[in-house]
Amino acid sequence: MIDRHGLLRVLGERPLADWVLIEHDEQLAVVAEAAPGSERAEQRQRWELTVHVDAARGRGSARLDLQTGSGLADNIVDQAIALANASVGPAWSTSPPAAPAKVALLDPALARAELGEVARVMLHDLKRPAGAMVVATAAVSREHVVVITKQGARAQWVASLAHADATIAVGDRSVEVSRDARRIADLGFGPALAAAATDLALYPSAGAVTPGSCTIVLTAEAMLHGGLGVWQVFANQADAIVARQGLTRYRLGTPIAEGAGTAADPLTIASDGALDYAVGSSPIGDDGDAVRRFTLIDRGIAVGLGLSPREAALRGEDPNGGVRNLVVSAGTWQDAPATLPGRVVEVRRLRSLAIDPYTGDATLEIALGIDLTAGGKAFTGGSIRLDLVASLARARRSGQVIRRGSYQGPTAVLIDGATLLP
Amino acid sequence: MSWNRREVLGSLGLASAHALLFGFGCGPKASYEKQTALDQVDELRGWLRRAVELLAHKFPSAHGLAVMRRRTTAARDVLGGAVTHTYCEGVVLTVRDRSGRRREQVTSDLTRDGIANAAAVLVGRDQRIGQPVIDFGVPERIAPLAHDPRTLSDAELLARVDALAELEHERSSRIVYGATSLDIDDAHVWSIMPGHDREQRIVRVQQAAVRVAWNGTRPIVSEVTRSWVGGAFDQTLDAADLANATRGALELATPASFVDGDHSVVLEPSVSARIIDAAVRALLTTTAVRRPEVAHRLALGAGVASELITVIDDPLAPGAYGGFAFDDEGAPAAAVTLLDRGHVVGRLADAAGVAAGLASAAGRGRRPGHVAAIEPEPSHVRVVAGTTDRDALLDDGFVLEGGVAASLDPASDHVVVAVQRAREVRGGQTTGRLFADIELSGELGGLLAAITAVGTDATSIGVRDERGGQPRWRSIETPSLRSRAALRAMRRPT
Repeated sequence: MIDRHGLLRVLGERPLADWVLIEHDEQLAVVAEAAPGSERAEQRQRWELTVHVDAARGRGSARLDLQTGSGLADNIVDQAIALANASVGPAWSTSPPAAPAKVALLDPALARAELGEVARVMLHDLKRPAGAMVVATAAVSREHVVVITKQGARAQWVASLAHADATIAVGDRSVEVSRDARRIADLGFGPALAAAATDLALYPSAGAVTPGSCTIVLTAEAMLHGGLGVWQVFANQADAIVARQGLTRYRLGTPIAEGAGTAADPLTIASDGALDYAVGSSPIGDDGDAVRRFTLIDRGIAVGLGLSPREAALRGEDPNGGVRNLVVSAGTWQDAPATLPGRVVEVRRLRSLAIDPYTGDATLEIALGIDLTAGGKAFTGGSIRLDLVASLARARRSGQVIRRGSYQGPTAVLIDGATLLP
Repeated sequence: MSWNRREVLGSLGLASAHALLFGFGCGPKASYEKQTALDQVDELRGWLRRAVELLAHKFPSAHGLAVMRRRTTAARDVLGGAVTHTYCEGVVLTVRDRSGRRREQVTSDLTRDGIANAAAVLVGRDQRIGQPVIDFGVPERIAPLAHDPRTLSDAELLARVDALAELEHERSSRIVYGATSLDIDDAHVWSIMPGHDREQRIVRVQQAAVRVAWNGTRPIVSEVTRSWVGGAFDQTLDAADLANATRGALELATPASFVDGDHSVVLEPSVSARIIDAAVRALLTTTAVRRPEVAHRLALGAGVASELITVIDDPLAPGAYGGFAFDDEGAPAAAVTLLDRGHVVGRLADAAGVAAGLASAAGRGRRPGHVAAIEPEPSHVRVVAGTTDRDALLDDGFVLEGGVAASLDPASDHVVVAVQRAREVRGGQTTGRLFADIELSGELGGLLAAITAVGTDATSIGVRDERGGQPRWRSIETPSLRSRAALRAMRRPT
C-alpha cells in the first residue's frame, strides 16, 4: 500500500533537487432524480508527486498522478526520477518557500455531515418554478489535502464543493442549468431555475433573428456560458508559456487592444486564488507554490501572467499559483439598455461559445435574445462574431457585481458595433 | 488524442517529448508502473464474488465491476523521446431496489478489505450469514494475449515510435515541429452478478503523427491517427500517412476572404465522423430523449435524414477502437441500428433507460474509465457506405477536410462544425483555392436530409476524450457524404 511516510522516506533518500508531495482524500456523494433515480458514493485516495532533478544539461521534472492505493514507494519515486531525467530542459532553481494563502474553502455545513444525506436534502429543498418540470442532480464532495515539500513547507486543509445541474422544461422546450460553489448557500440554484423558467416562457413567441448591426448586452447567463464564458479569453492570454513564445495577442506593459487605456470603463482584471469560498481558490498550487492574488490587466494595460515555479524562475519572479478565480472590475454603466441609442439586443442564453485562445476571436451562437428596440421581441438563433479581447476592453460594464463559480465581476457587459448574423 | 491550437503552442515551448506527453493531453500526468497487478487477479475475482453475494441477499439486483487499467504512451518529438505509464484501479458495487432505483459504492481500494468495506456500506448492519450460495455460472475467462503489451519494454516502444518517424524521408524546413506517438490503453475488467461472471481485456491502441508549420502568423497543425483494439503492433501508420500529415501542415491557404453562403459540400470522413458522433451522443441515447424537443423530433419511426443514411452502433465490429465484449453494467455486446434509411429505429440505452421505458434493450451503459458514473454512450458507430466513388461526389462546391469539432444543441438541432480546410471544386476539378478555418452552421436535420450521395471510402476514427478526468473511448466509421450547407469563415476579416 502507498503511504505518506514511505514516500517521504524514499524521497529523503534520493538525490533530488526538489520535490512536492500532495495527498488527496476525497469523499463524494451524488444523487440523481432522473428515473428511476440513483445514488452514488465514492471514496477516493489520490497522490500527486512532483520531482525535480538537476543535471549538467539543466533541470528535469516529472509529475505523477497515482489513482490507486497499492504500490511500492521505491518503485514510484524511482520511476518519477527516471521520467524527470528524460525531460531535462533549461536550468532553473526553486524559489524559497512562501506562506500558503489564507483562504476559507470548507462549508461549515459540510464539515461533518453525511454527504449523501446533504445531497438528498439539496434536491428535496430545491425551489422548483411553478409549471416547470425539473430533473436535477446534486453532488457534494469533501476533500482533505496534505501538501509537503522538500523545502520544509507543510500545509493541509479541507475543501468542500457542491454541484447541481438540471434539465428544466416548460411545455416542449428545455434548457440545462448547472452551478458549482464551495458552499451550498452560494449555489443559487433555485434562482437559476427560476430565471431559466422565465426564459423558457419566451420561446413560444420567439421569432427568427433579424440580421444587422446592433449594440449587444450580454447578461450573466450568456456572458458566463460554460463557466468563465467570454472572460476565459483573458485566462488563455495569461499563459506564461505561450507568452514566452511571443504568441500571445498582447505583451506585458502594453494596452490589450487599441483604445483599451482610454475606454470609458478601463478594464481591470485580477486573478485571486485566495478568495474565500471561490471555486478556483486554494492555499497552494498544483506545483506546491503558494497561491497569490495578482493583476492580469490594469486599466487596459497587460501587467501580469500566471506563473508556475518554473516559469517564475525563468523570469526571475515569484510564482503565483497560476490563473484561478477571475475578478473583473465593476463598471459605471447604469443605464437601462432600452434607453440606449440605436438597435440594442440583449443576449440571454447561448447555444455555444467558441473562443480561439490564440487570437481571441469568438463565435457566440444565440439560444435566446431580446431585441429591445423592437418592443422587446424575443428571438432564437443567429450568431455574433467578436474580437473578444478588443470588444471586452472597450465594453461598458455594469456597476452591479455577481459572484459565480470562479468569476466575480459585473452582471452584464454592453458591446457596441456588433453584427448579428443569421 | 486530438489537439487544439493552444496545446500545440504550449507544446512548442516545452523541452522534450516527455513534456510533450503532458502538452498533448495524453493523460493528465504520468503515473508509476505497477508491478504486481496480475498476481492478484484470481484473488480479486473471489473478493468481488463475495461482495456481490452479500449484496444479492439483500437487493433484487446486485452487480460488481472491477477494473485494472494501465496506460502507456511513448512519444518522440524533435527534442527527444519518453514513455509514461498511468495506472488506475477501482471497484463499483451497484444495487437496485424493487423500484429500480440504483445505489452505487465506489472505491479505489482494490484490496479484500477495501471491497468488503464498500459492500458493507450498501448492506449496512443487515449482513446475513448462512444464506444459500449464489450461482454465478461458469466464470468466463479470457485467453492470454498473443502479444501482451505489459511485456513490452519502454525501449521497445520507443524503438517502434522511432521507426515510424524514420518512414518519412523527405523533410521540409518549414515544419517547425513534429512528433510521433504510440498510446496503449490496456483495461482489464471483471463484471460479476448472479448468473454471470465475466472478464474482458481491451487493449486500445492509437498511433499518431503530428506536424506543425507556420502559415502567416498562425501555426497550422496536421495530425494523422490510426486507432484499433488488439495487439500493439497489429496496425501501423505508413509513409503515405506521414506524407499526408506533412502535406496538410504545409498546404498554403488562399489569402482571399471566404465568402459566406450556402454551398454544395462533400464532408470527407473526418468531418462526417464529427457530425455523426455529435448527433448520436446528443440525440440518440436514452439520456438525450429525456429532453422534450429531442423526444418530439426523434421519436421512433421519425424520418430525420436522407434515405441513403443507415447508422449502426456495433461494439463487436472487429478491431474497433470503441468496441467491447460487455458494457459496464455487464450486458453482453450487440449491435443496435439507430437510423435505418433515414428513420429512427433505435436508441443507445443503459439499464436505467430501459427501466424508464425509453428503450427496449440496454447494453450501452458505459463508465468513463470503467469506474465513473454510468451514461449511455456509443461504442463503434458505423454509417453504411454507399456506392459513389469519392472523386465523383462533387461537381461544384467545397470539399470540407479536417474535422476539428462539432457542437450540437439538442434543443434547437443547430449544429456548428469547425473544419480545417474547404477545398474549392469547379466542374469536378479542384481549382487550387483552399480556405482555412471554415465553419459549417445550420440545422442538423436539414444537413442530413440534404445528403444526396454517400461515398465508398469509409474510414474509421478513434476518439479518446475525458470526462471528470476519466477517459472515454469510441470510434466512428463513416464515408464521405455529399450534402448542402451554410459555410462561413471562422476568422474575422482583418
